[in-house]
Amino acid sequence: MTGIYADIDALRGLHDALVRYRHAQRDVTARGEDQLTATRSSLAARASRLRAQLELAQAENTACQERAAQADPDDPVDCSGYARAMQQDSERLEQVRLWQQRIDAEAGEFSGIAGRFADLLENDLPRMEEHLVAIIASLEAARRVRAPVSGP
Amino acid sequence: MTARPDQDGDQQLRLLGDAWDKAAEHWRDGPAHQFGTAQLTPLLQESRGYLEALRTLMDLLETAERETEG
Repeated sequence: MTGIYADIDALRGLHDALVRYRHAQRDVTARGEDQLTATRSSLAARASRLRAQLELAQAENTACQERAAQADPDDPVDCSGYARAMQQDSERLEQVRLWQQRIDAEAGEFSGIAGRFADLLENDLPRMEEHLVAIIASLEAARRVRAPVSGP
Repeated sequence: MTARPDQDGDQQLRLLGDAWDKAAEHWRDGPAHQFGTAQLTPLLQESRGYLEALRTLMDLLETAERETEG
């Protein structure tokens, strides 16, 4: 008996594997989107924090420059620390901005591929599953086998 | 530790490939050939393309997080 129905059993196994694949890959695509959203939020928060830090450093540097302009030439005020902090914050902010732009560009490219894959999962795969169910039913009918097949 | 989505996707792709290999051992008629070439092969190719793009994007996101932290 097993030999006669081996192809039907194999097709049932393939059908079930396709159903599992569709659900699992849907989860994969959702997690990919979630990761993209999380990183974008994280970079936006870092950029915001760095902008605030930079504004503070600029204000401190300006105040220091004013003190330096009014200081006794024999007792000069050193503003190099403020200037250095300002420069570092500015560079880090620029780095975050560049990463944001690069991620936007890559995400734009990725969205086309992801859209096609999502369409495949939503439309093509269920059709394949239905096709397999029809083939199994046809084989069963030909051999007068009546056995349940799980739906998609 | 949770695996990256692209890694889980790769694993699912391998499982589907295994299921097809197993089915193909017993299902070898014309419809089987037609199903393999017209439906399953394009699905596997499209899946590989998507997972490769996802891997590239996940690598980029990890690098961006690492290089901008602190």
